[in-house]
Amino acid sequence: CAGEKDIDLTSYVQDIEPADTLYNQGLANLEAGRIKEAIAKFEAVDRQHPYSEYARKSMVMTAFANYRRGNYEDSINTAKRYVALYPSSEDAAYAQYIVGLGYYRQIRDVTQDQAEARRTVEAMDEVITRWPDSSYVEDAKAKKRFARDQLAGKEMQIGRYYLERREYVAAAKRFRNVVEVYSDTRHVEEALARLTETYYAMGLASEAQTAAAVLGHNYPDSQWYRDSYKLLQTGGLEPRENKGSWISKAGAVLLGT
Amino acid sequence: CTTASLTPSETLTQGYVIDEQALELVPVGSSREQVLLALGSPSTTATFDTEVFYYISQKRVRPVAFMNPKIVDQQVMAVYFNDEGRVDNIAHYGLKDGKVFDFVSRTTPTGGKDQSFVGQLFSGLSGGKPPAGGPFGNSGPN
Amino acid sequence: VQFATVASAEAAVVRSIEVRGNRRVDTATIREYVGIEPGKSFDPADINEAVKTLFGTGLFSDVRINQVGSTLVVEVDEYAIVNAVIFQGNKKVKDADLASAVQLKPRSTYSQAALDADIEAVRQAYSRVGREDATVSGRIMDLGENRVNVVFEIIEGGRTKITGVTFVGNNAFSDGRLRDVISTKQSNILSFLFRNDVYSEDRLRADEEALRRFYYNRGYADFRVISSSAELDEAQNQYSVTFTVEEGERYTFGDISIESTLEGVDAQSLNPQIDTRSGSVYSADNVEDTIIALTEEVVGRGYAFAQVTPRGNRNFESRTIDVAYSIDQGPRTYIERIEIRGNDRTRDYVIRREFDVSEGDAFNQVMIQRAKRRLDRLDYFQTVNISTVPGSQPDQVYLIIDVVEKPTGEFSVGAGYSTKSEATGTGGVSIEGSVSERNFLGRGQYIKVSAGGGKNSRDYSLSFTEPYFLGRRIAAGFDVYRQTRAYNDRYSSDTTGATIRLGLPITDSLTSQIAYNYSREEYELDDKCVDDPTTVVIENPCNIAPQILDAIVQSPWVKSSVSWTLLYNTLDDPKNPRDGLYSTFSVEYAGLGGDAEFVKLTGRGSYYHTLLEEQDVVGLVSIGAGHVVQTGGPLRLFDYFQNDTRMIRGFESSGIGPVATNGTDHLGGETYINASAEAQFPLPAVPESLGIKGAVFADAATLFGNDLAPLGTDMEWRASVGASLLWQSPFGPIRFDYAVPVVKEPTDQVQHFNFGVSTRF
Repeated sequence: CAGEKDIDLTSYVQDIEPADTLYNQGLANLEAGRIKEAIAKFEAVDRQHPYSEYARKSMVMTAFANYRRGNYEDSINTAKRYVALYPSSEDAAYAQYIVGLGYYRQIRDVTQDQAEARRTVEAMDEVITRWPDSSYVEDAKAKKRFARDQLAGKEMQIGRYYLERREYVAAAKRFRNVVEVYSDTRHVEEALARLTETYYAMGLASEAQTAAAVLGHNYPDSQWYRDSYKLLQTGGLEPRENKGSWISKAGAVLLGT
Repeated sequence: CTTASLTPSETLTQGYVIDEQALELVPVGSSREQVLLALGSPSTTATFDTEVFYYISQKRVRPVAFMNPKIVDQQVMAVYFNDEGRVDNIAHYGLKDGKVFDFVSRTTPTGGKDQSFVGQLFSGLSGGKPPAGGPFGNSGPN
Repeated sequence: VQFATVASAEAAVVRSIEVRGNRRVDTATIREYVGIEPGKSFDPADINEAVKTLFGTGLFSDVRINQVGSTLVVEVDEYAIVNAVIFQGNKKVKDADLASAVQLKPRSTYSQAALDADIEAVRQAYSRVGREDATVSGRIMDLGENRVNVVFEIIEGGRTKITGVTFVGNNAFSDGRLRDVISTKQSNILSFLFRNDVYSEDRLRADEEALRRFYYNRGYADFRVISSSAELDEAQNQYSVTFTVEEGERYTFGDISIESTLEGVDAQSLNPQIDTRSGSVYSADNVEDTIIALTEEVVGRGYAFAQVTPRGNRNFESRTIDVAYSIDQGPRTYIERIEIRGNDRTRDYVIRREFDVSEGDAFNQVMIQRAKRRLDRLDYFQTVNISTVPGSQPDQVYLIIDVVEKPTGEFSVGAGYSTKSEATGTGGVSIEGSVSERNFLGRGQYIKVSAGGGKNSRDYSLSFTEPYFLGRRIAAGFDVYRQTRAYNDRYSSDTTGATIRLGLPITDSLTSQIAYNYSREEYELDDKCVDDPTTVVIENPCNIAPQILDAIVQSPWVKSSVSWTLLYNTLDDPKNPRDGLYSTFSVEYAGLGGDAEFVKLTGRGSYYHTLLEEQDVVGLVSIGAGHVVQTGGPLRLFDYFQNDTRMIRGFESSGIGPVATNGTDHLGGETYINASAEAQFPLPAVPESLGIKGAVFADAATLFGNDLAPLGTDMEWRASVGASLLWQSPFGPIRFDYAVPVVKEPTDQVQHFNFGVSTRF
């Protein structure tokens, strides 16, 4: 396989264009949706006029353009470099926000590693604490809530995995963790209902009742509360929902729904 | 090869390992620290009300490699503390106290990018629109 | 670096700030870093702070701040900025790899020290790919405005070869045998393909470890690697590697004892777990297997914290080692949480379900290692490493599982060749393309689609397997296939079929499988062989045996059967077995509807054993048998067993056994028995690194019993002897056999030479 061909050094001429024309060409490209060319222009500014005022502006624009194109790694790296170099400039808040968005877009399904969700929370926290009055705080909070919800979802998924195998100790630990650490997410209702199920299956009726009581107190009209209530009332004798025949369960597994 | 690999059945002891002598060290009235020292940290504690330590252990047998282990024995030891943090009484719950029922199969939906088959091939689709107010107020693209 | 001198100590105010010496960095940016504004008071500490921040940016080689009258003068000397880093003359190592190896990057600041360090880094990169004599020089191109390009000129030179790997002090094992143990190989014509003749320091260390392990497992407990050195002959650009070893005495096991401090566990009851028999040759692996077996047994009896530590003492005169296994209570730590990280594609439960240990359980090292072995066996991960981190309580611990996934999808195109069989016309060159994914959608499921064909055969297949059906360790799956064969253009067959299978592992080495198979075979006579309908006389122009003609006429045939198979496999290494047993037994009952009605029993056992340790001669004995019984109507022609090279070599496939009157069409038999003995040995002249071994073998087989066949239906033994070449080629194991039949029947069809890409169990 042929290596890259070498550059002919003698003819290497470094054409320097003024920073502002390059920058405005970048903006025009971005406006017209030609994002790839826009990035090329902004990077040319940064390379030909490093650490100049226009270089600073084009750095944040490169971060935004990369984000728009979906290559989040480059966008995050550029934005992080911007926040490090110009912490007190007026775009620092936006750059940090772009870092958070970059991770946010890469959050995976709960059955996979949630590293991106954790990083979204950290990045958005920076935006909220360091620039409390910036216009991005509102959306940063929303994204942070989603990321925390995702982390709680992962705890629940592992908790349900252990509950299904009737490993009650492990299941209780995971659901407890959601109730204590992620009580501000939507999963807390299900966590309390699962705790009721876990303790009841173990025979600790008193613990099951307390968990169901807390659930009923905070979420009186939640479907989870109705399930737990019914469980405790009937001593688990009546089915609370029909899950379909064994075949549909097997089918579900094979098709991976 | 060792003969062990021929006997198919396998027993697994899970959770807390009960140690009979240690139990004598925590009569009624002993303090919370004594219990922690003698029995170690509990499998789980009471979620909301007064302090209770639960030490839970399970014994399972897997008759053949492809089958799921079945619970054959389950011990829950509950150590109740009174208001001064002294052991009030110790209760034991066996396997028979456990209830067997179907867990609700409904789950709270979660988001996140799941790789559908097609997704696995074309990962890295371009991002959506950024929020209002680009870096330069109106002149930024939005 | 010189700090600012400040004229007056008390707070001062300036009316303006002047920046000098900056050519590229904007004055506004520098003012922002200084942070002192005109009209506001500041003190010497502020100035020092400003100097520190300016230096902190790494852009300036020197910073001087003085107050002159009412203006604050900030003087800076800028570093040169790297515009681009260019690599010239590199072919074997890509620009991107070199760029990541060097510190100087576009937009970073340039310094001579950084350049020198990078030149060394580039040379290192080349020595890692086995090019010690690459020469690297660096220079800069000034672009004005304090900006530079960094250029690395590289002359790659030739590949550094390894001429010889020699051993000093080894008399128990030959140099050749030891070369097979280590990974550093001598250069040979194929090394550009294998790339295993690149010298590296850590590969040498790993080889020392491999040698130690090899000797420790063969009784040499005192074995020591005295030195391992590699001299570089610059002129020839090649290394010669020498290992000096001291083997020491060969030990056997003395008396083996178990002591247990856990009451309720008596030592005698644990004897079956012992893998180290007194009198047998000392082996470190056996000791390790015993420790694992003992721990698993004791943990199974409820002592979750049990720990087994071996104590060996050597007896120099009798050259024996007594081993005492002491079982005691390990620390009572529990697993608080199992964190799985790095699974970007694999689902969490696919990893978690390989652990028999869960959160809240006792922490036991042996059980964790067992799970790690299972995860490695999944073959979804490049690396799996399990570490522990202290938990929230002193007796709690977090188990961290870091996995690095590897691509598990394969798109492969393969070419196969099997010797053409005159009788059936099958064989010859065939190509096959397949797409498979071992970890489909990260759910651990396996899916494969393949299509292939040769001059007169077409094969299509789709298969899917879910390893954990319904949460149990049951490998459920299905296969759908279509095969067309043309039998040297006399007649052709078209088979479509499907199987649904459930794999049930009984223990680690014993698994069984229940399957339902449905297949529909359709046979067709080629036009030129069809009788002319107008004439009454049947000319049978292609001279096809009447039995085959009947079968063709009555096609299509449907077979609907259920089968149960038992597989016992303890081979040490599937690709290159030296010890262990691989045996299968299966029963197939056909008759759930469809035309075929029979019970078919087949069995096969292959036992490998290293005969001569020193010369690495491996013996293989295998026996097989099969019998088919009709349960309803008469057996169909194609239900009978036909011979192939796995049954006996030296004869054509479907070339022996009951035969039709025309003496050429063999119709198969109800029963077959076959046996084979083989010895595999490394070829003296050929370097091991090519992976070629020789073998001599003797086969015997009989195939008899067929109601449809007039001749050759009684039990006659055939035998053949021969030699073969085995090659672990980069495309998979290839085998050439040359066999000469010594006992045969007149109607048998002989085939001396056979070549195929296959592993033989």
